Amino acid sequence: MSSSGLRRLKGRLAYGLGLLCVLVAIVPLASILFEVVKNGISAIGIEFLTSPPGVFDKPGGGIATAIQGTLILVGLTCLIGIPIGLLSGVFLAEFGNNRFGRTIRFLNDVLTEFPSIVIGILAYSILVVSIGSYSAIAGAVALSIIMLPIVTRTTEESIKIVPSSIRDAAMALGIRRWRATLSVVLTTARSGVITGILLSVSRIAGETAPLLLTVLGTQFFFSGLNQPLDALPLRIYRNASLPYTFARQQGWGAALVLIILVLGLNVGVRLATRGRYSTGRSRM
Amino acid sequence: MEKFKVWTEKLNAWFGENHALRDVSINVKENDVTAIIGPSGCGKSTFIRCLNRMHELVPGARSTGRVFLDASDIYAKSVDPVTIRRRVGMVFQKPNPFPTMSVYDNVAAGLKLNGLRNREKLDRAVKRSLELAFLWDEVKLDLDKPGTSLSGGQQQRLCIARALAVEPEVILMDEPCSALDPVATAKIEELIASLKTQYTVVIVTHNMQQAARVSDNTAFLYLGQLIEYGATTQLFENPKEELTERYITGKFG
Amino acid sequence: MDLGLERLRNMIIDMGKLSDNTVSTAIDAYVQGKDMRDRIYGWSEELRMLQDEVSELAVELLARYQPVATDLRFIKSCMEIAYGFSRFGRYAHDISDVFGIFGDLSSCDKSSIKEAGEHTKSMIHLGIKAFNERDVELANKVRKMDDIVDSIYLSFVKRAAQGSGTDLKCTVSGTLILRYLERIADHATYVGESVLYITTGERSPRK
Repeated sequence: MSSSGLRRLKGRLAYGLGLLCVLVAIVPLASILFEVVKNGISAIGIEFLTSPPGVFDKPGGGIATAIQGTLILVGLTCLIGIPIGLLSGVFLAEFGNNRFGRTIRFLNDVLTEFPSIVIGILAYSILVVSIGSYSAIAGAVALSIIMLPIVTRTTEESIKIVPSSIRDAAMALGIRRWRATLSVVLTTARSGVITGILLSVSRIAGETAPLLLTVLGTQFFFSGLNQPLDALPLRIYRNASLPYTFARQQGWGAALVLIILVLGLNVGVRLATRGRYSTGRSRM
Repeated sequence: MEKFKVWTEKLNAWFGENHALRDVSINVKENDVTAIIGPSGCGKSTFIRCLNRMHELVPGARSTGRVFLDASDIYAKSVDPVTIRRRVGMVFQKPNPFPTMSVYDNVAAGLKLNGLRNREKLDRAVKRSLELAFLWDEVKLDLDKPGTSLSGGQQQRLCIARALAVEPEVILMDEPCSALDPVATAKIEELIASLKTQYTVVIVTHNMQQAARVSDNTAFLYLGQLIEYGATTQLFENPKEELTERYITGKFG
Repeated sequence: MDLGLERLRNMIIDMGKLSDNTVSTAIDAYVQGKDMRDRIYGWSEELRMLQDEVSELAVELLARYQPVATDLRFIKSCMEIAYGFSRFGRYAHDISDVFGIFGDLSSCDKSSIKEAGEHTKSMIHLGIKAFNERDVELANKVRKMDDIVDSIYLSFVKRAAQGSGTDLKCTVSGTLILRYLERIADHATYVGESVLYITTGERSPRK
């Protein structure tokens, strides 16, 4: 075979190999989605989505408590995690060019890799024990510890990407430094920051381990910050290990709802940020 | 007797160990256009950044010497750099409108972010600035479009309007036309000629023909030192220093 | 642009040589009573055409290269000098005309004209040399010599006005020729002044 023919063959082989790898990577995701949809779709219904869990061995009841619980948890976590994460990210980006900044950044990166169960234990030993019961607030705190370093890092990176010419222009207008950072630089970094927040929200919506140790899970609707709370991952966990078929089916349904929630969040914010918040491109 | 708006006395500037400006003393006349020319790296941009205290924002940068704006030293201990930057505006080489803001918001940014909220006053200021920058007619129906949707020349005029909105007294321009095509450049040069009636303009340029067209006085810097400074026609027809002569006739640089 | 400037320089030098030759020939022709009119007319025409060429080249260089400082002054001066040289041709032409108008002038006293002629010739020589070498000293010398030619002219005219001797033909022709020589001398000083302008950018006051 001529050398050019050989090269072409190699090219095609490489292409084929790459394609194969991509398919192998996608297959698990595709199969999971397929399984969840297949098994869970039958459980979806009005009653399923709006009523609290019923008795295990009889059909009936739903996951409304879990849906409410997850939404409340996510909301609380964002309330705690987003402001702290944003400000930390801004601080590191503006003032973090020194030993202190490098240390903080390192610790932050370590925290992102922390096993979530350990964070759960921490929250348990501090909050659950002192409050006296499993509580929503303990869960929110644990989840926000998971969320925080992600938001901090992505915020810092997004700010650093903003070209210095923007900052220069703002300073040259005689705008105070903090105002320039918040109003100009941060808004320019908007899409990156929002993506980071989004990423962390998707992550925490599905965290199960810390919830086991902090909110416990319950069959009742939200009854107070210092009371246990139900959540979708907990429902899935509980139901999947039960021997009753419709309990397991409800588990699949809960999994489907959770996935829809997370995917919906992703797609929704992506659509929203494409229009107004993109940095835009100039036509020169 | 012509009045001087800005003058420097033995201005020195460093970037860390790099001595970028050496004992530069220049008097900038009020309501005149003064051009700063010289080969790359001679300190032109550093010089004008000292005039609005932007030089000190670079980590490791410092300066000594005095810079007077209307007879008071802008580097005096009691002076707040932010107020200086409101009186001495700046336009940069590459047009840099704020990307997430509309045309209107871009021009109003300097005013809004310093506390002005009155919608009427903002509207008037935006219109006035865009008119001064020869951009009003082109954008008056599209004030809400993003600043970055304009062409390069328009973006640069937008940046000029933005700088004018805070009503400075001096306008510094750091090679404002080097990223633009000749037609856009000509428009900006026309704009500069009209601005000088109300403002004092200092323009850095590496294009000598532009300096000759646009300025009343020209200063030639080389390796951080002021080599010659004088009326533009005199400097270009009969320069006093041999180094100046060699630079402007293209023997080096 | 350097090539353009070099070309300009060479054209001026050629014009210089030609005009020098033309004037000398015209003066000698008169003094010796020879008829060189055809030659002189031809050279004068050539000088005029060369001046046009110099003008065109100068304008092209200005438009294309936007020269400054010494280069700019050089080009400006070349235009002025070329004009001066073409004037030399013209006056040489006029001097030979005198021969045609007055016919035989062998009986006239041509000593003043000879003297003025010699001075004028050397002024032209010096002027061209000063341009070639950009020598300000020589340029100054030319200016001083102009005073001499002026005084020769004035004294001749005064004597003629007092009506002393010789016939009308000689007086009138002599006056005309000295007048032309005086004008040539003036233009030669302008050439010298241009050299001063190129090197220092200063202009000497016009007399």
